[in-house]
Amino acid sequence: MARNGMVIELDRCQGCRACMEACKVENNTPQGNFWMYVFRLEEGEYPDTKVRFLPRPCMHCDNPPCVTVCPVQARFKNENGAVVVDWDKCIGCHYCVVACPYGVNYFNWKDPEKAYYLDWKDKDLVAATGGAIPPYQNPDLMGRYGPQQRRVAGGGHLKGVVEKCSFCVQRVEQNLPPACVEVCPVQALHFGDLDDPNSDVSKTLSRKRSFRLKEELNTQPKVFYVGQSPPGARAREIEAVKAKQ
Amino acid sequence: MATQTMVRSAPPTGLRFYAWVGILGLLALQGLYSFVVLTTEGFYVTNLTDQVPWGLSLSGYVFFIGASAGATVIGLLIHVFDRKDYAQLGTRAILVALLSLAAAVLFIATSVGSIARSLLLPWFWNNPTSIFTYTSTTYYVLGALLLVQLYFTLKVNRRTASASEAQLARWLAIGTGIFAIVVIPTLSGALFAVVKARDFWNNPALAPHFAVVAVVTGLAMMMLVPIVAAATRRELVSQNTLSHMGLLLAFFVVVAGFFDFFDLLVFTYSDKLAGNEAWHFLSSAHLPLSAVHVVGYVVGFGILVSGLRRSTPWLAVAAIAIILAVASYRYNLTTVGVSMPLYPFIEHEHYVPSLIEFSVAIGIVALVLLLYSIAIKVVPLEGEAIAPKS
Repeated sequence: MARNGMVIELDRCQGCRACMEACKVENNTPQGNFWMYVFRLEEGEYPDTKVRFLPRPCMHCDNPPCVTVCPVQARFKNENGAVVVDWDKCIGCHYCVVACPYGVNYFNWKDPEKAYYLDWKDKDLVAATGGAIPPYQNPDLMGRYGPQQRRVAGGGHLKGVVEKCSFCVQRVEQNLPPACVEVCPVQALHFGDLDDPNSDVSKTLSRKRSFRLKEELNTQPKVFYVGQSPPGARAREIEAVKAKQ
Repeated sequence: MATQTMVRSAPPTGLRFYAWVGILGLLALQGLYSFVVLTTEGFYVTNLTDQVPWGLSLSGYVFFIGASAGATVIGLLIHVFDRKDYAQLGTRAILVALLSLAAAVLFIATSVGSIARSLLLPWFWNNPTSIFTYTSTTYYVLGALLLVQLYFTLKVNRRTASASEAQLARWLAIGTGIFAIVVIPTLSGALFAVVKARDFWNNPALAPHFAVVAVVTGLAMMMLVPIVAAATRRELVSQNTLSHMGLLLAFFVVVAGFFDFFDLLVFTYSDKLAGNEAWHFLSSAHLPLSAVHVVGYVVGFGILVSGLRRSTPWLAVAAIAIILAVASYRYNLTTVGVSMPLYPFIEHEHYVPSLIEFSVAIGIVALVLLLYSIAIKVVPLEGEAIAPKS
């Protein structure tokens, strides 16, 4: 039993958003759903301004409010400490969305066929891709995971269901790091067992002072930030990526 | 004790009634059509977002669940406080409570991604740490209690109830009233109050506030019932009884106003994000509804404590003003709570319901009004209504 977590080195992050792209490609998330999101923030007043970045995956809290409030136990912590959603149980009541202080949940507003960047039934696209499997039918995501064999990886991206970052359960099961960690060009993201003193995350945490988002709420996030202080009260978001399905 | 007046005339029939029922039927049908569009197309046809996932539907739900609980106060007045002059409202109060509960459940059902699973909620999947589990389960219990109470009360009305059945109807009214007023709105308030992520809701006074507002809503709606009945030449209660109900309503409006003031103190003096943000919302985009909230209470209270409460039309104005105030409060509470940004550095998101959302909401309200209009015509609502005391 691991207690997987993530450490993000803010002083390394360049805000390239490659992690967002990798997450989208790996998990085939629909338009508007960003399981990994990178805030680009501006601080100070012109001309004395500086830009900084804050990657925001799901915090996979040790004391997750979304699990507490979910009326149907569709939310649960898996054997590796990741907080995941059972697609077959979620009723789409949004209670997890309002209870989460981090804004990491995304509701599927449309049918999967209509929610993607491309129309995968378009004849030209079918011809161009040679009849490739549409992203919402990716067989790699259709499996069942963990001792309870629940459908948690995002296969299908069903309409009317809330979804979020799963720490890439389908990759972790094969001893691979989440896609965002693997793709980061400056290795700002670290992933591993927080209870293992020899893991990459534990070593990084022991070297640098860290903070977690909204610690005062006692959600005990398993995503730690090092290398910079938290964003100031006067920070503002720039270049926001906003899209609705 | 006020004198009790009962005029048992024939139920309203004729062109006006059928026109009224026809209009309500059409409104309900357009709501059904919009609901079909919502479920087939997906919730993208609403103006809800991942930042503001609860909107008009949730506001409708909290309004009607409060109305359902509040309407049962009439049963308590009759059977606990021995106000026999309210007796002719007893069965109608059960009906209003039942239909309001149905409206609340419909509002919830039209706001979740999977209706079929959500309707099965209390019987199959339970999470003992989720307030939602308890609220939904108690709604089933309330519905069952109200149905049983209605059954025995109708037997009493028809004079076919035995003495023990009449006693049972009396005790059901008392038990249901206490359960409805104490448990239902407080749990609904807790649904919001336990959410630490939303500063605007995370307030221990929210649950008792909900209970008081529920009584205000129920009393205001039940005050309209005899006024509307009188307009169709059916006097259910005397003017004195209406005046008494008005004073009772005024008292609870004062208590609700106190809780509003307490809420203002909490978020004004809180050092959380909520303070400034809440003021920003309530005084800008939500200003019209904030105004309706305050002015509705003030106007209603003013009428109810003045000599105007002896005039039926003014009582109707007071009841409508208070109902609008409560509806505004419910809407502001729900939508401001979720509209406030989770991080200080992201922009506010202002939510305005889409036409589809309005259409579904109008459809639900029309449907319950339609059912009420038909029920008062076909169900024997008047009669003894009071069980003999043992």
